[in-house]
Amino acid sequence: MSEKQKEEFIKPKITSAHDYRAYFRQALDASKRQPFTDFQIAAFVTVIAGIVRLYKIWEPTSVVFDEVHFGKFAGKYINHTYFFDVHPPLAKLLIAGVGSVAGYDGLFDFNNIGDDYLAPAVPYVSMRLFCGILGLLTIPMSYITVKASGHSTAAALVAATLVCFENGFVANNRLILLDSPLLFFISFTIMAWMKFSDPRLQPFSFQWKIWLFLTGLGLGCSISSKWVGLFTIATVGCSTIKGLWDIWGDLSVSPSGFGRHFINRVLYLIIVPILIYIFAFGVHFTALPLSGDGDTHMSPAFQQTLKGNEAPATRADVAYNSIISIRHLKTNGGYLHSHSSRYETGSEQQQITLYSFRDDNNLWKIRKGGEDQVENADELEWVKNGDIIRLEHVSTSPIMLHSHDHRPPVTEEEYHNEVSGYGFKDYEGDANDYWRVEIVDHSSSSPAAGERLQALRSVFRLIHINEGCTLFSHSVKLPKWAFDQQEVTCIKGGTMPKTQWYIEQNDHPLLNETAELVSYENPGFFKKFLELNKVMWTSNAGLVDSHPYDSRPPSWPILQRGISMWSQDEKQIYLLGNPLIYWGSTWAIFSYLIVRGVLILRQQRGYSDKIGIAGRYFQDSIGFYVAGWTFHFLPFLLMGRQLFLHHYMPALYFGILGFAAVFDLLTKNLRSTKKILATTVLIAVIVGVFMVYAPITYGTTWTRDDCLRSKVMDKWDYSCDTYLDRNPLKPIITEAPSIHLQEESAHLEVVSANDKDMNVETKSESPMQPTPSAPMDEHSGEFGDEEDGDDEWYRLNRPGDPEEEEEEEDEDDEEDDEDDEEE
Amino acid sequence: MTDTAVRKRHTGPAQSKKPVAVKEEEDLKKASQHAQSIKGVRLGDSRDKISLLVFTALALLMRWIYIGFPSEVVFDEVHFGKFLGHYLKHAYFFDVHPPLAKLTLTAAGKLIGYDGHFDFASIGDNYIENRVPHVFLRSVPATFGALCVPIVYLIMRDSGYNYLTCLFTTTMYLFDNALVGQSRLILLDSQLIFYMLCTIYSYVRFSKARHQEFSAEWYTWLLATGVSMAMTLSVKMVGLFIVAAVGLATISDLWSLMDVRRGLELTHVAKHFYARAVALIIVPTFVYLFWFWIHFSILDTSGPGDNFMSAAFQATLKGNPLTEQAIKVYYNDSITIQHRDTENFLFSWDKTYPLRYDDGRISSKGHQVSANSDPNDEGNIWQVLQTGDDISGQLTPVRHGDIIQLRHVKTDRLLMTHDVASPLLPTNTEFTTAEEGDEEKYEDTLFELRFDVLDLGRQLQSQMIHFQLIHVPTGVSMFSQTKKWPEWGVFKHDVNGNKKIIDRANRWIVKDVIGREPGEDKDEEGTKVDSMSFLHKFLELQSKMLSENNKLVAEHPYMSTPISWLVPTKGISYWHNPVSKGQIYLAGNVVGWVLGLASIAIYCGIGLADIVAQRRGFDLIDEPVRRRFQYSGGFLALLYALHYLPFYVMGRALFLHHYLPAVTVLYMLMGAVFEFMFIEGTTSPASNLVRNESEMKNHRPKVAANISTMRSMLTKTSYIAAAIIVIAQIGFFMWMVPLTYGTNMGSEMVKLHQIFGWELHFAK
Repeated sequence: MSEKQKEEFIKPKITSAHDYRAYFRQALDASKRQPFTDFQIAAFVTVIAGIVRLYKIWEPTSVVFDEVHFGKFAGKYINHTYFFDVHPPLAKLLIAGVGSVAGYDGLFDFNNIGDDYLAPAVPYVSMRLFCGILGLLTIPMSYITVKASGHSTAAALVAATLVCFENGFVANNRLILLDSPLLFFISFTIMAWMKFSDPRLQPFSFQWKIWLFLTGLGLGCSISSKWVGLFTIATVGCSTIKGLWDIWGDLSVSPSGFGRHFINRVLYLIIVPILIYIFAFGVHFTALPLSGDGDTHMSPAFQQTLKGNEAPATRADVAYNSIISIRHLKTNGGYLHSHSSRYETGSEQQQITLYSFRDDNNLWKIRKGGEDQVENADELEWVKNGDIIRLEHVSTSPIMLHSHDHRPPVTEEEYHNEVSGYGFKDYEGDANDYWRVEIVDHSSSSPAAGERLQALRSVFRLIHINEGCTLFSHSVKLPKWAFDQQEVTCIKGGTMPKTQWYIEQNDHPLLNETAELVSYENPGFFKKFLELNKVMWTSNAGLVDSHPYDSRPPSWPILQRGISMWSQDEKQIYLLGNPLIYWGSTWAIFSYLIVRGVLILRQQRGYSDKIGIAGRYFQDSIGFYVAGWTFHFLPFLLMGRQLFLHHYMPALYFGILGFAAVFDLLTKNLRSTKKILATTVLIAVIVGVFMVYAPITYGTTWTRDDCLRSKVMDKWDYSCDTYLDRNPLKPIITEAPSIHLQEESAHLEVVSANDKDMNVETKSESPMQPTPSAPMDEHSGEFGDEEDGDDEWYRLNRPGDPEEEEEEEDEDDEEDDEDDEEE
Repeated sequence: MTDTAVRKRHTGPAQSKKPVAVKEEEDLKKASQHAQSIKGVRLGDSRDKISLLVFTALALLMRWIYIGFPSEVVFDEVHFGKFLGHYLKHAYFFDVHPPLAKLTLTAAGKLIGYDGHFDFASIGDNYIENRVPHVFLRSVPATFGALCVPIVYLIMRDSGYNYLTCLFTTTMYLFDNALVGQSRLILLDSQLIFYMLCTIYSYVRFSKARHQEFSAEWYTWLLATGVSMAMTLSVKMVGLFIVAAVGLATISDLWSLMDVRRGLELTHVAKHFYARAVALIIVPTFVYLFWFWIHFSILDTSGPGDNFMSAAFQATLKGNPLTEQAIKVYYNDSITIQHRDTENFLFSWDKTYPLRYDDGRISSKGHQVSANSDPNDEGNIWQVLQTGDDISGQLTPVRHGDIIQLRHVKTDRLLMTHDVASPLLPTNTEFTTAEEGDEEKYEDTLFELRFDVLDLGRQLQSQMIHFQLIHVPTGVSMFSQTKKWPEWGVFKHDVNGNKKIIDRANRWIVKDVIGREPGEDKDEEGTKVDSMSFLHKFLELQSKMLSENNKLVAEHPYMSTPISWLVPTKGISYWHNPVSKGQIYLAGNVVGWVLGLASIAIYCGIGLADIVAQRRGFDLIDEPVRRRFQYSGGFLALLYALHYLPFYVMGRALFLHHYLPAVTVLYMLMGAVFEFMFIEGTTSPASNLVRNESEMKNHRPKVAANISTMRSMLTKTSYIAAAIIVIAQIGFFMWMVPLTYGTNMGSEMVKLHQIFGWELHFAK
């Protein structure tokens, strides 16, 4: 290493003072004079990185943290069953591809953290290797990036070392998670962008276009892996605008020349990423043709494009005495539903809810409403726009859809009326059962659907005659006594979109075989694409549950707390960064901002700080990395959703590059021996600190004392009680109980005592889970963990008595439902 | 549009590119002409007086006319009328808005002798039957609304716009249905807009006085800016936007003062800074606080807002039920402990945890501690035990920070938790009980009582005080949730130790003290009202206001999204009466709002085009015109952006009337764009003219010529454009009059007015 640095670039002497890019150019040329080429150094760095990043990648041999999700998703791709996730598909597709090639059959279900991989023979090592290799490639790329932006080899090596020995990157990037593909793509993008920004490149040359294209490719892949890629787009976008502004101001470039610059950037930096993003979704839909547990997130029209979920064609024309099911248009709440349970508030009449699965309790019979109106049983009479109808609930007949001046159970607002089922034998009902049909929209292919009700084609409102309110539903859950189903009310005033309904199933005894059938229109790729993105957006914003290891963004730059990702026996993996790197990068960023601020202030006051050409060069270079850090960090402050330390990783990557640039600035005027010394010391310290925290990074053995000593901050809550007192020469490979005994005895020292009986018990059993280190996956209970029963139940189409229904309820409230069932 | 405008600018001032010598001579001539005509430019002209008079009269007329109709409660009068009543009855209430506007209404109510007896229960309740002086009450907001009109005129005039522009802008503003409609009812918005305009006006006057720095005039307007800014904020939190706008303008102002080319000493700049800090930060803070001080002084009795506040706060209110029902807790009392959110009781019995759960984890097999929904179960009773060395005898009060033990009375065991995973949440600790006297577990039975911040100094009392129970050795907080245990736990609710101490779900209260009744210990201290410092009260209320404001998310039929405001595609039905066939529907004047939107587009387009062109060395706009366009127009554009864009990131339910402050600014921006497009040149900043004049007086014509001055020139186009737009605006206003004033409409007429799918009511 020292050899390489002897040939540091000599302080350049530039005559054309107005062009600080010349400094840049000269700096880049300097690396030609070093004994090893950049390629050789990068290769060397890659080898080191390989050792650090892939060390014992097969351990732990069980599911770690969010492998729960992303392993599961890989399985879904392999089984082709539809699932829903808030992240775009590219990275998951890649992982699934690797899993598929490695022979994963998609049967292992990744249900819990700590589930064993070995017995079911899951090819998890290949999948982890894939992520690990993508992760380690960021290390040579960071070297090249810093080099390409004109900094010294020493600075580039510092950047590579920091990325390599960052405990958080190591712990996270070797697992089956989306972060390492994301980081890889971001790092690739920035490298390509730096290469593109090389002042020696001739505009519009082949190389120039290649690097511009690769930047676009990287952007496209980043955004297709996680939406964090948007921040990378913002970073590169602002840099592009600045570049274009400079070109526009350069009067030697003709307007048409500027036009070419502009068009090229639009093409490669906007069009290319969009195409990649759309393509990724194209592959996603193609890979998932079968119905699966993600169905319920999607609209009915979307669902029926999935095999095993096709809605049967139904009769188009709706007449009086038709048996219909009515579906709510703007929420995925499902069908207008009733069952023989009563409200516990308001009128205490029969409940009316929205229920998301097909079921006989969703069936209603259309009858005539209004005084003295009787429907003719022998004749087909269409239900026309403006008709007054009654809806009779088929399975609890003669219950009718009813509304009156009571407040609904949850939305106790003045302008909402309760909707209930009302009626009893030999009672014809009253005027509060009358609803007026108002068709608000109909499919353009069938003009008749605007005049009279047609299944699937007419979108209508039901207006209550007496109260003048409109049948309405919104994603508000009823209390447990209504099985957490969705609330239905009658809302006064307003024509909200959530008052719209349509008929999905329709049958009439008098309609013969030849009557017109209608089924959902296939939405086509773009509609599906837009819908999925919309649902991803709302679900993402809806991830607001609290999690034991979530954290707020202000705690990240100072590394206040980590995440427990896995723990078993006397080992654990705890996502904690290399504190020196976290603090160092934060320090570099804020020093830059402060120094820059002071300089601007002084300039305004007329002090001439001659920062010179080199100064302006550094200002721009560090400025770019700081901007990247800002773009990847600040938006999180505005996000309400649940956040984790690993969301800081892209920002940290920029922070590290910024740190390297600041290091370069500080050592710029040092003599080469001193510079080598500084670099070596810095690298040694970083590696040393890395080694201290390596046990919780790799999940290897540690001693309790070392563990306790390593806790520099109180809030780092990895459990030291997990570890043995002394480092045993050999790890104890015996039954779990003896290990646990150790854990217990360790425990005895801090906490006064544990029940003796308990110790005896635990000896014969597997270890009691120590609480402080129990890991939880990121979105526990959020999505994807539905009961298997859902699909099965759906096919059986059992009549929905409420006791069973709630078991099958929407997965969001699955846990709550389980409890109710027992009541 | 943009292109033609730019091109027009370009051809206009061609004469300014003449040779220097000729130019100088011309400039001299021009300067002297300006000096002659300066009087016409400055305010105080008789035509200004007449205009102001006419506009004020018209504005008052348009709002006062027919103001008693409908003599029924309309829309949010439900709320503000109610609040007015509470003020008059001194009953504590809670509202998300600061008090100033409501206090103004209260003063009016007091003045006319209204006693607040009417409860404004729902829209449509009759005022006359209930003897509410609604005409007088409504005339207060109406007057504020009317006064906005002359201020708009003054702002435009003092910003240096042409007389025609001022007339144009003010007329456009005058005939806006939404602004008229909103200010005729007992609502807060007209006061908000009034104070907002006062702030803008003061700031404009302050800017005009910038060449007489530290003069009396300068100080007056600076102070006026600060005070009216605070008044705006005291009406609604939306006032923060005007604070932000003034703040940004001040920062940019200070920044240019710091510019070394100004040649100001740093101490001089510091003096500027201090003056602004006092007038724009310190004074407004006191003004804002003052209204709250009044608010608390008036509302000294218990009322409907009690439950929003902390126990300590409630105890300061006269006749509050909490103080009357609370029982003080002393050591060795037996109590029941209720979880605040789920309302279940802390419970234990002799059933034990199963050794092994379904997921294979192991428990401690200790006694179960859970939460019970049955309030009368004997297993809910716990005795508070004192710990430590100095255990004294009877009647030691339990306080914040005490380390206590809880003895379960029925099983005679002590509550404890330890480092064992709880049955449902593996990350949380299991609660169980320990035998009394078990030395090994002594530490685990210790809990620290932690009260809410505001109740720190108080004794533990039933009902009143929310506390957390923090486990001393592990630092976890006792937590319960609605989830239930499976069969082995007889479906009791889960209780465990939560590591997240700040979780809201960790709070518990003492429900009952066994064997004691409320009022027993009254004779000790009586039911005297506690005191609390004003600042504490203020901070508590303020944080509550912000958090409650964010919780206003319930779906409302007339809520709308910011994007739908630009063109008022959705209004609000305020009131309708099927008998009289009248209805009030709040919607803007579509002509004005659409033109406003176009003005924004034109402003941004021209601004951007100018910057881009300048970068290429093209100078398309005259410097005085550009400065007016950038500074005056820019300030208005900034105001508009700050009053509109933040709504996009707000989570709460939004309504069309939230857009009204932005609309007010929009009309002024429309004026600025009008002047730019239809009037040749611009009248140079009055300050320049003044300087120019004084230089001329001092016989220094050369210096005077260097001060760039210009007069705006009206053309035929100016008049025609203004006339067409104003006629369209008035026409639309007249067409919408029935919806704004609520006069009778036949159903044919209603149908005619149903544009954009406005949800109007059809009489049956």
